[in-house]
Order: sequence, then C-alpha cells, then structure tokens
Amino acid sequence: MWRSFLSFLRDPFAAVGASIYAVIVVVALLADRLAPYEPKAILKVGARVARYLPITSANWLGTTASGRDVLSQLIYGTRSALAVGLTAALAVVAIGTLLGLLSGYLGGWVDRVVSWFADIVLGLPFLPFMLVLAALTQPGTGVVIFSVATLLWPNTARVIRAQVLSLRERAWVEAARVTGCSTPRIMFVHILPQVLPLAALYGSVAIGWAILAEASASFLGFGDPNTISWGVMLQEAYANQALSRGAWTWFAPPGAAIMAMVLAGFLISRGSEKLLFPKLADG
Amino acid sequence: MARHLLGRLGHLLLVLWVVSGLTFVLFRLMPGDPTLNFISPTFSEETRAALLKSFGLDRSIWQQYLSWMGNLLQGELGQSFLQGKKVSVLLAEALPNTVILTLVSLCAAYAFGIVAGAFLAFRRGGVVEAMAIPSALATRAAPEFWLGMLLLAALAFQAGWFPTGGALSPGEQPGTIGAMLISRDYWWHLALPALTLMLYLQGLPLLLMRATMLEVLNDEFIVMARMKGLSRWSIVMRHAARNALLPVVTAFALGLGASMGGNVVVETVFAWPGVGRLLVQAVQSADYPLAQGAFLLIAAVLVTMNSLADLAYAALDPRVAIGMKR
Amino acid sequence: MMNRLAVAVALAGLGTLPANAQTAGDPIRPLVILAQPQAAAPQEYQAAEMVAEAWKSLGLRVTVRPLPGQQFNQIVWFERQRWDTTTWQMVGRAERSDPDELTYNLFVSANIANGYNLVGLNSPAYDKLAQAQREELDLTKRQGLIHEIQEVINQEQPYGFMVHPKNLVAYNKAVWDESSMVDQAGIGIRNFWTWIALKPKGAQKDVILNSVAPPTNLSPFNIPGAQGSWATELVWDRLMRIGPDGLPRPWAAESVTRPTPTIVDVVLKSGMKWHDGKPVTIEDAVFSLEAPGYADKSPMYRPFVGNIEKVETTGPMSLRITLKRPDAAFLVSSLSKLNLAPKHIWAPIFENLKGKPETAESVMEQPVPIGSGPFKFVSVKLTEQIVLEANPDHWAKPSVNRWIMRIAPNIEATLGALKSGEINFLTDYTGDPELLANLPKSSPNIALSSSLDIGFKFIAYNERRPPFNDVAFRRSISAAIDREALAADAFGGAAVPANSWVSPALAFWAAPGIDKKVPGGTLEAAKKMLKDAGYVLVGDRLHYPAGVKETTPVFQ
Repeated sequence: MWRSFLSFLRDPFAAVGASIYAVIVVVALLADRLAPYEPKAILKVGARVARYLPITSANWLGTTASGRDVLSQLIYGTRSALAVGLTAALAVVAIGTLLGLLSGYLGGWVDRVVSWFADIVLGLPFLPFMLVLAALTQPGTGVVIFSVATLLWPNTARVIRAQVLSLRERAWVEAARVTGCSTPRIMFVHILPQVLPLAALYGSVAIGWAILAEASASFLGFGDPNTISWGVMLQEAYANQALSRGAWTWFAPPGAAIMAMVLAGFLISRGSEKLLFPKLADG
Repeated sequence: MARHLLGRLGHLLLVLWVVSGLTFVLFRLMPGDPTLNFISPTFSEETRAALLKSFGLDRSIWQQYLSWMGNLLQGELGQSFLQGKKVSVLLAEALPNTVILTLVSLCAAYAFGIVAGAFLAFRRGGVVEAMAIPSALATRAAPEFWLGMLLLAALAFQAGWFPTGGALSPGEQPGTIGAMLISRDYWWHLALPALTLMLYLQGLPLLLMRATMLEVLNDEFIVMARMKGLSRWSIVMRHAARNALLPVVTAFALGLGASMGGNVVVETVFAWPGVGRLLVQAVQSADYPLAQGAFLLIAAVLVTMNSLADLAYAALDPRVAIGMKR
Repeated sequence: MMNRLAVAVALAGLGTLPANAQTAGDPIRPLVILAQPQAAAPQEYQAAEMVAEAWKSLGLRVTVRPLPGQQFNQIVWFERQRWDTTTWQMVGRAERSDPDELTYNLFVSANIANGYNLVGLNSPAYDKLAQAQREELDLTKRQGLIHEIQEVINQEQPYGFMVHPKNLVAYNKAVWDESSMVDQAGIGIRNFWTWIALKPKGAQKDVILNSVAPPTNLSPFNIPGAQGSWATELVWDRLMRIGPDGLPRPWAAESVTRPTPTIVDVVLKSGMKWHDGKPVTIEDAVFSLEAPGYADKSPMYRPFVGNIEKVETTGPMSLRITLKRPDAAFLVSSLSKLNLAPKHIWAPIFENLKGKPETAESVMEQPVPIGSGPFKFVSVKLTEQIVLEANPDHWAKPSVNRWIMRIAPNIEATLGALKSGEINFLTDYTGDPELLANLPKSSPNIALSSSLDIGFKFIAYNERRPPFNDVAFRRSISAAIDREALAADAFGGAAVPANSWVSPALAFWAAPGIDKKVPGGTLEAAKKMLKDAGYVLVGDRLHYPAGVKETTPVFQ
C-alpha cells in the first residue's frame, strides 16, 4: 500500500499536486518573512488611505479598497487555508476511518448502524446545513470545520469499509486471529496501517472541500471576518466592487489560490479516479 | 424488485423523518433563548409573551414536536417574518426557478460531459488528454461563486451580452410557469447562472464517462465484438456507451439532489430568485421560519434524489444483486 | 449617572497622585464595535475599521464585529445592556426636514428603555431644551434653542458622529428629461416630487429604480424602511407633504390653519377617491389620525399621534385637531407623516387585531394595499420588485406610466443594470462613490446628481457600560476620530464630517461650524485628555483610573 502511494508520486499529476502542497506549506511557514506588510495594516499615502493602488514594486498585487497589501493577505491566507483544511481533513479522516474500520471489520449491527448514520448525514445538504448552523451559533471557521467533519465522513467510511472487508479475509489476518490477537488489536494494529494510505488520499480531497466550504461561507458572509483567508478576501473584493474597478489583481489571485490547492488534492488522489466518486465505485 | 422498491420507499421516509427531526432540534436547541429565533424583534414584550404561548413554546418539547410535525405533514411551515407571507407560498414561488436552473445546467453539463468523456476515452494519451483532464479537474476545484464572478465580469459587465442578475427584466411578469418558460427574457437571464453551474458540474460526468468507457472497452465482450470484426463506432454505440452510461445516470440523479443545495452560492451571485437565495436571505436576516422551510425543502429533494439514484442503479444494472447492496 | 458620579469622586480623591502603573485601575476590557457585514455596508465597515485603528493607538483593544442584518438590529435595539459601541445611521427623510423628530427622539431620557435613545444618555439639560424647542413657535427663538442643544450634545459626546452622507443618484438622461427633476432640500432628486413631475423623453415611460434592501411590510401603519417609504408615500396620500423647499405644505388638505398653538384646523380636498373607487371621506381622515393610537397596534406611528388630544369633524370636509401641548413641528412630524388609510378596509382589521399579538404593521392587504395617492399598487414581491402604476384619477397625475422598484442587494449587478438600461434610475447606491462618479465618462447617457443628506452616520457609545458612562472617556475617543479621513477615504468623498445630528443641509438649524468643535479634536489631544481624566497607559494597554475595577463582561 505504501509503495503504491509512493508510485502515485511518480504519476506526473500527483507530483504536481504534491508540489503545490509543498509550496503552500513553505509559504505558510515563512509567511511573516515573505509578506512585505502586516496583512491587516492600513497603508497610507500621505494622510490618505492607499486605496486601490495599482501594481507597483512596493505592492506587487496592489492594495485593497481599505488600503491593505493584497500580496501580504494572499501569503497569510495560506495559513488559514492550511489550518482549516488540515483540521477539517484530519477530522473527516479520523471519523471516516474509525467508522469504516468498525463497520467493515465487525459487520452486523455495527455495520447497519454506521450505514444508517451515513444515510442520514448524506440527506443533509452541505452548504445549507453550514449556513443554518452559522446563523444559529456564531459565524466563523469553527462552524466550517464542524460541518465538514460531521457531513463529509461517509465517503471515506465507505471506501475504508470496502477495503477492510477485503483485508479481513486475508490469510495474515486469519493467522493473527488464530494466534489469539484481540479484536481491537487486529483492527488497530494489523488492519489500520494498511488502510491509512487510502485514508490519507481521502484526506487530501477533504482538505479541498474544507477550503471550498470556508470560501463559500465567507462569501455569503458567514466566515470569520477577522481572519485573513482567501474566502474573506474574495468576499471583500466582491463587496467593494473590485469587479467594476477591474481590480483583477485583487480578486483573481485568491480564487486561483483556492483552485490550486483544491486541485492539488484532486491530482494527488487521481491515482484512482474512483476515489473521487466513491459512492459510484462502491455502489 | 417491487419489494426492493417498497424497502427503498420505507427507507426514504425514515431518512426524511430523521432529517426533519434534526431540523426541529437544530432550530430549537441552540444556545440562547430559542424564542428569539421565532419572534420578530419588532414586537413588544407583551406581544412576545402572547406569541410564545401561541407558538406553544411554553409547552414541553415533545408536545411542541408533535404539533410541529402535524403542521409539517400538512405543508404548514409558518409565516415568514421578513415578508409576512406563508413560508409554503414563498417556497412554491421560488422552487420552479431552482428546478429549472438545476435541470438546465445539469442536462447541459451531462450532455457535454458524456460526449467529451467518450471522446477522451478514445483519444488516450497526447496533448488533448494532458490538457483536458486537469482542466476538467480545475473547473471542479474552483469556487463556484468565483467562476460566476469571472463570467459576470467578462460577459455581463465588460461585454454587456447578458443581464447582470435576476430572473426577469423589470416589468416582465409572466403569470404562469408555462409563460415564464417560453419567455425569451427568462432564458436570457438564465444563461449565465446556468453556464456557471454547467462549467462546475461538467467535470464529473466527463471524468466518469471517460473512466467507465475505458473500463468497458477492456471488457471481454467488447474485445469479442472487436474480434468479430464489428466497426469501432458500432461497438461504441451499441455496447460500450450503453454500459458506460449506467454510473453516469446514477451520478445525474445524485447531482440533481446535491446541486439543489449547492446552488446557494450561484443563486446569490446572480440574484437568481430560487430556494437557495431564499435560504441565504432568510438566514442573513434571521427569518427562521423561512430558513427552516427552505432547509427542509432542499434536504427533502436531496434525500429523494439519493433514493432515486439507488433505484436507478438497481434498475439499470442487472448485475447488481440487490441483496448485496448497502 | 451614578456611575459617572462614582468615577468623578474617585478621580477627585486621587487627583493629586502621579499617574503611573501603581495607581492604575484594571485594564479596560477588549471593546467591540458592532457593524453590518462588509457585504451589506462596505463603507461603514471600513469606517469602523479606521475608528478601531485610531482607538487602538490610544491603548485600547478594539475589534470590529460584523453581525448579519436582523441580528444586528435585534442586539442593538433590544439587548441594550449587551454591546459596547455600534455603527448606526439615521437616514434622511422628508419629515426630518424639521429637526424636531430627531432632536426629540434621539437623546431624551424617556426613550432610554426602548425608544431611540439607544445609547442611554441621561441629560436633564438636554431633556429640558428638547421640550422647549418643541413648544417654541417663534422661529428665531427656536433656532437659538436648537443651536444650544447641539452644543449640549457636543459636550456630552454620546455618539462618535462620523459623517453626513451625500446622496448619489444617477439616472438615464436619454430616458428622462433632466429639467423635470425636482431637487428637494436635504433629500436630493430622489423624492416624491420628482416621481410625480418626471417627464419621459421617448417611448420608455416606466421609472425603473433600484433598492438594495427589501422593504418590510407595506402597510399604511408601518414605516417599511427607507426604500419601502419611497413606494408607500406615493400610494398613500397625507394631509400635508414636505415641499421641495423643506417646508410643509397642504397636500390632501385644501388648507391647514392654526388659530391657536394647540388647535389645527384641516379642510380636506374634495373629490378624492381610494384606488378601489370609493370616495375619501372626512371620516377616513379622522380615522387615519386616530388609528395609530389604538392600543399598541402601530408602535412606529404611535409617537406621532401622542400629542393629539382629540380629533373632531367640523363640517362635511373639515376637521379640528386639538393638541395636548403646543408643538412647533406638528405639521411636519405628524400631518406630513401620517398616511391616509381607508376606514372601510382598516377599521375591520383593527377590530380583528384586538387581543392578538400581531400589530397593524405586519398586516398586508391582499391582493395589494389600497391607498388614494398618485400611484397605486400593481404587484408586490418584497424581495423582487414592487410595481406601481399612475393613478389617472389623481389631481397630481404623474407623467410616467409605471414606477417599478427592483430589489437586489447586489450593487455590482445594479450598476451594470444602469449601464445596460435595465434600470433607468439608480436610487439606492451603497457602493464605491468613486465608481459612480466615473460612470458618466464611460456612459454618456448617465447623469449624476449629488446632494448633502439630512441623515448622518455615527458610532453609538453605550453609556450603560463603563467606561462609556464617563464623559471624559467619550470625549477622548470622539476626539481620536479623524472625520476628514473618514469622509475622504471610507466614504469615498461622498460625505462631509459630522458632529451633530442636524445636517448642514438644514442650513437654518445646523449649528455653524459644529463639526470643528469636537472637544480636543485630535488624536494627540485625546491622549492627553485620557491622561488628565486619570486613565493610565501601562505598557501599551490603557487602564481605568486607580481603584476602578473592570466589571463589565466582554461582548460575546
């Protein structure tokens, strides 16, 4: 399994995907050194706020309507993207893997209960659920991560379950059982490591969904306005009529950055196209 | 098959029931005073108390639930704070717009995706594939509203070819859905939001069609047919495409349910008066009865479409042994 | 009041000690400025951010917290203990051409619990002057009182006044005859008089205008938001209207006379008809003056009939209103504000509302409401569009055929719609003023009109919550606000600095030069004023004066 994971990276698409992630991680780590300005600092020209500055050597992507450096915001946006993406993906993978493992290995009523839960969750529309939750509690990234975690695990669970179903029939699992290994031990020590690469692939797609979810929530006004994220940048640009201004350097880069990061997840998981469409592959 | 159908129906009703129950809980058990969610802030204190009583919010949660469920079954979703109309009436006004937008863009996306996907399955390797696959993935990776913003900027603001929002020009008021459907104005307004959704949606059928085509083309019966000397085209038309279509049809039904919910952002960008925009407006202005109604409607469509997809899959593919399915 | 005294006593006791870290009180909690989301009001949001920056440089921790529309209203109006500061605005309405409405409502102590006095200012000096100006019928003397009361508020600084906005209205001059626009003082060309005087140039005879927010319910007993009012004032006649000159003039009344300070005699115009064909009678007029006072069924209009002692008919077409107290602004704030509603429709509705929690504000007649005005309703979809058509039977029959208000929150789309001719009157523009100012260059058919508004935008300081109960603190944070920068940058030049609720558009009433008189007036002065009042900077964090504990919870 691990070997096949590495072989993905030999796939040109997967390699591109992995490099996109690598770049984003490096930028996020070095954000405070790379960014030319504090992302929230209101820049001035004389006594006036430096609104809508064009591209200059001082502001490579110009400034926003409130006089902030676009490039710095874009750079700091990687942190929020990674934070939201990784947290949410980790949660999805953890829940999905655990439930997939339990229902695949134990079968019986556990399987039925998990599948029943999955059906319910699949019956909750994602964006509307997130909006309603944000409206009833407090808008912000917490709601985004919670919604992604609670609504997007069934896909992972189904694939893991299918994988576990085939693994549990293997000779070495049988052998472990005969030698008296406990059920939890077989599940978590023997089988879990075998399905983790698959789970990781799902995680890379989930990162993308989480970032898209955050962007959509922010766009509709339910993000956390005090963070710097690409979604919030797009919302600000839209609200301040960057389109009419023709301020492409403001609204094009954050969207492209989101696209690149989500695409990276798709590319990495493309080793098997079925991964993208588990419900269909799994029937 | 009939038993399976009944089983599915029962399952569908069960899921619908649980989802509605979750909605009930969601809208009532949130932190803070739940009555605030149901009483317009323009009312006075005494009015609030009286309303509390008339809503039954002074009764136990179970009694509340029973009367809520009773109302729901009669299609009674309460009164919108914002618009002072029945929620059911507002939803009925918005639903056709959402259904039309979804169906038009989904059909366009699938027509394009199926043809392009089949084409790509033949043209393996080379520049076309190297370009097409990442582009298809990229349209799916881009935020829908961002695609919409770009199209709006380029085709509506810059070029001026399309209107900038809404479903009808001012003053145009076709009385019925039928009149609306044959109105040129309506389709002109529909073009950009539908194009945005189509761009977003076409990636999935394209990749799916290509993948299953490749699989089917390698199947034994195709190889046999080819050995029999049948022409490439007739193999494709008569055997491969038919088999490859199966998962695509299933995806269509799933997509219909899913994009009803996902339309929320596109409807907002283009001010398209559908259920999604209604939900956003309701949520933004704390019009909870309306938000609850719109949410329930979207969820109901999603659940129903999920079930239909399952049925379609079972009906279309005799190889699927019903008992084996989850 | 008690709190302020306590602070004053504490200060007096400690005045001789040097201000240093040892004598500092608790650090001031992180403060929150509430605002509408950026998408809804980008300029106010940016203004709030700039104010937050300024306050941060005083050593305060400040965040701007956007809240979605209804939740924002809910918290600011109904949870008055809860918030620290909030952006807010009072919009310009024709009836506010007389300063009485705002002067009387904004800061009187009677309105602290649930009225307009949302900051909870309790100033006996103000209360006295507010009542005095209302009862003063001599114009020059009343002007003096209005000037004086503005100075009282200047000293109190209950708000951080920001700006008086300019109204930007754009229209398609290929469709509309420019000379038919009527410029109303303090309102601009988007007003009642323009709608009835507008002359089409060619075949397009429909006014198509925009609103970025949906009106609330269209009832003659509801004030349906700024934009909804544009429609309701066309549909429902009023006994008087504010003319383009800013003064009240008879409208549905043939004449209005005031034989004594507490008596108003009204003669109704004859021959008027409701849109359903029934005649407008003197009973309808009496009903319309009395109905807002019935029980608690019209909370918004009730205050405007509060001073009416009784209304009685004195002839087939005449009535007499007796006031409880003399009221200088009665013609403006009551007779020019109350809608004439048909008794045959509304009397049964009020009857039906008895004992029910709903108010007349939320009742909407079906299929469309009935008025007697120069326009009548054709269709109403509150989140889509409102269509009115000219009433050919009205004495002030408009020249246009229809009046169509498109409701779309998306300002980008609206601007595009103006360029493409989908709308021909841009009446509600919350977007970037510079963009609009440049529009006539790229689209030669578009004409732009800009005029100073009666309204104003401000940051309210909640005086229920320390440290805002301390007038020295309020003065300091007000002084720290750079109003010129707000007007130029956040509001894109389409605004002038404010330090009063009376706009310079009302030249007669505005206290001259008040915007330059903010105590202290600069950021540097603000720092010094805080220090003088005993506030202490420890490191970069501002603390209360010695002995003062922070007991107020941070806004959540």
